[in-house]
Amino acid sequence: MMNASSRWAKLRQTEAANGLLMISPTALYAILMLAAPLGTIVLYSFLTDGYLEIIRDFTLANYIEAWTNELYRSVMIRSLAVAMVVTLVTVLLAFPIAYFVSFYVAPSKKSLWLFLITIPFWTSYLIRVFLWKVILGYNGVVNSGLLGLGLIDEPLTFILYNVNSVVITLAHAYAPFAILPIFVALEKIDRSLLEAGQDLGESKFMTFRRVTLPLAMPGVIASVLIVFIPTIGDYVTPQLVGGPEGRMVANLIQLQYLKLDNYPLGSAIAVSAMGIVTLVSLIFIGLNRRYLKGPK
Amino acid sequence: MTEKPTMIAFQDVHKYYGDYHALRGITATIKAGEFFSLLGPSGCGKTTLLRTIAGFEGISSGAVMIDGRNMAGVPANQRPTNMVFQSYAIFPHLTVGENVGFGLRRAGLTKDALAARVGEALDMVGLKGYGARAAHALSGGQRQRVALARALILKPKVLLLDEPLSALDKKMREQMQVELIRLQRQVGITFILVTHDQEEALVMSDRIAVMFEGEIAQLADPETLYRRPNSRKVADFIGTMNFLPASILSETGGKLEVEAQGFGKVTLEAEQAPGAASGEGAAVGFRPETLTILFEGQTATDRESMATIEEVVYYGDMTYYDVRLDGTEKPIRISMRNVFGRPVLDIGARTRVAWSPGALVLFR
Repeated sequence: MMNASSRWAKLRQTEAANGLLMISPTALYAILMLAAPLGTIVLYSFLTDGYLEIIRDFTLANYIEAWTNELYRSVMIRSLAVAMVVTLVTVLLAFPIAYFVSFYVAPSKKSLWLFLITIPFWTSYLIRVFLWKVILGYNGVVNSGLLGLGLIDEPLTFILYNVNSVVITLAHAYAPFAILPIFVALEKIDRSLLEAGQDLGESKFMTFRRVTLPLAMPGVIASVLIVFIPTIGDYVTPQLVGGPEGRMVANLIQLQYLKLDNYPLGSAIAVSAMGIVTLVSLIFIGLNRRYLKGPK
Repeated sequence: MTEKPTMIAFQDVHKYYGDYHALRGITATIKAGEFFSLLGPSGCGKTTLLRTIAGFEGISSGAVMIDGRNMAGVPANQRPTNMVFQSYAIFPHLTVGENVGFGLRRAGLTKDALAARVGEALDMVGLKGYGARAAHALSGGQRQRVALARALILKPKVLLLDEPLSALDKKMREQMQVELIRLQRQVGITFILVTHDQEEALVMSDRIAVMFEGEIAQLADPETLYRRPNSRKVADFIGTMNFLPASILSETGGKLEVEAQGFGKVTLEAEQAPGAASGEGAAVGFRPETLTILFEGQTATDRESMATIEEVVYYGDMTYYDVRLDGTEKPIRISMRNVFGRPVLDIGARTRVAWSPGALVLFR
């Protein structure tokens, strides 16, 4: 008894025990609120759907349905396509902004610029999405503006309740997330490397291609993942501005769960989507692995 | 020896950063094949001057000529110069070989020819077989060599070195100094070194420009700079110099009659007074090793004075004595090489000191 309690006291003094103690509230939260529900969903995806209940029979039917049904497949492909376009647009637009702040803004003003870039976060995501509805709508800001200027005769309809509006809204929402990692990567580049590039005979543009861009790639890769992974599963934006043809996989899962009460199929779609996101991300990282090795 | 052609000419170069006058009328020429150093304390404008050659820094007025061509408007990537940066600026995402071959992309070499050139360059700096290594895994000295190989592979007319040895430890630094001299002789390219280390400049250079506050204070070969500094500032910056007040009695036929405290009346040659008047009053200066403490049985070859020892600093191979010559107010420093069997003198001891008028420099 004595022995056991002293051993316990010794254990409490170790580094590892202290570390565990520090992370335990969040670890507990993560286990209860993330890991347990995730486990439940994976479990559900292999069970059979019954009327108003879930029958505990192991089956792969949900996965077969999720992967073979034309509707589900097209929504998944659309989600992937939307997320890829959003990622491409966001990162391409974010890079020049990060480059500008890192290379052209005076060091004393950089924090102010970063602060300004994060201002959109002051408004709730939901409200920002809703505002795009006001801007892009039939009687929205864009249409009434263009009508007022006499540039169009009737309101444009291709800008809301379709894939376009989903892309615009998501690209706007995720821009700050994409700017920051690229900015950090650019900040880490020793400026004498750029002088060295020119000293060795390369123009400014070629120095950018041969020195700046490769060294900024870890930031670009981080940006791509930060934008791609959440956008593919975004629920609010396609729900509010996507219309019927802008539906994405999260809306489909919600439909299965809450409207059709088909937990197993919804779970199978969710697990499949997670698998696809993981696979695409790993392939992307694999293709760019040469930029990620070594310190820097 | 025939006069070497001019490689670099500064013609009244001025540089302003806003109100700050960083370069104040630099006029100097650097000869082809010369090992030239820009020496001065931090903030004296030596790095700025180097960067005007490289093309990283524009100039406010005047002209920088390289090999007879005015460099105004010529960007850094089109100048016949290459630089070894203070931080070495090794590209961390490339291998050693890719770093060294970076500047050869535009030469349009075949893969084999490129590899051969890179191999040669690495061989030259003593890094044979390092081509495939990751650049970030190198030590400081190795980075230095990669930076040298990367610059020299392009066969520039001028190699610019911005404090290249300051990040290395003492032993490594001394080794690299010798290697740089050897390399410069081997390739015959004009080397321009920026340094704040006077010893480094003395060891390596054919000629040195000492800079203070944006101006060249003296431009001379190391020996002249050390033996005949033209101002107290230069004398103080390079090595140690003792000063004793003096007055000029007469100046006739290129000879100066001077009455110096502790030394009495001495006659100096005109070349012993290289500087202009500074307004601080005249003084004679002399290096610590030009005076000798006489031990029993030794006699002076030239002149002799009596002195009292006030401080003794023992360095192993050397002993530094602070002594006061009779008739002077402040002590001067004498450095003596320690010889086996000879005692180190004690504080307060009386001693004879040998000196020679030829070692004195007159500051007006």
